[in-house]
Amino acid sequence: MATLIPTLTLSSTDATTDLLNFSITDSLNITQDVVGPSKVKLTTSDLEIGPTSYGKSYVYLKNTDETIAINIEITDGNSAMQLAAGEFAFFPWTGVAGIVAFSASGTPYLEYAIFEA
Amino acid sequence: MATTASISITSADLMPGSSLNITASSTLTKAGVTADLDQKESGVMKLVTGTEYRLGPLATEMAGDAHDIASYLYVHNRTTEDATYYVDWGIHETMIGRLYAGDWMFIPWSASDDGAEIEIEPQGGTNIIEYCLFNSDVILPTAAS
Repeated sequence: MATLIPTLTLSSTDATTDLLNFSITDSLNITQDVVGPSKVKLTTSDLEIGPTSYGKSYVYLKNTDETIAINIEITDGNSAMQLAAGEFAFFPWTGVAGIVAFSASGTPYLEYAIFEA
Repeated sequence: MATTASISITSADLMPGSSLNITASSTLTKAGVTADLDQKESGVMKLVTGTEYRLGPLATEMAGDAHDIASYLYVHNRTTEDATYYVDWGIHETMIGRLYAGDWMFIPWSASDDGAEIEIEPQGGTNIIEYCLFNSDVILPTAAS
């Protein structure tokens, strides 16, 4: 068993007059499979990065490209999110539906990791 | 409205001999451009079991152009109960994951059409979440006459 500690910080000086600046953290027990930090070149064709063999998991995604967006579908054909250049996501995933990634154009690189609890 | 999101993911014991230390940061912008987002909505909600809730607007409730579909969603399950309490989250009818007590998520979300809405449903009992949605123009509902 290992402990994973994800921390998110959101900050803005002008979102509202109430200064936005907070951090949230968690402590997750990881006991099953792990895809360590990985980097893959995408094309406009589907690439499954998260198969349904996973159970309760946590997923980290980051678009490392400086211009090209990356589309993420959870269950092929079901648009879930678009990672613009440099953007990231972190979310819990059950593995019920597979995670598919493909580029909006060209061949950007996706950084990703999966931690199965 | 320049808003910055940063993440770190660390573990001292996940992989023997190599501690994990992922970091990333990005500025939240409209889709396809570097312009800042216009709006922020945040709050705390009590979610009652047996009910599906929608977080954020539908695509047809959003004004503007293709650059305005980008949103960013942060959700934290503040519930302090045991592991039988969690909030299912998904997009439209596809359940994606479960936010257990103390868990949080942060995603860029594209309100590409009305079938891409964020849905959440509490399980196990009443769950309390805090959330923050950063987006662009939303059309306010028409008042009843």
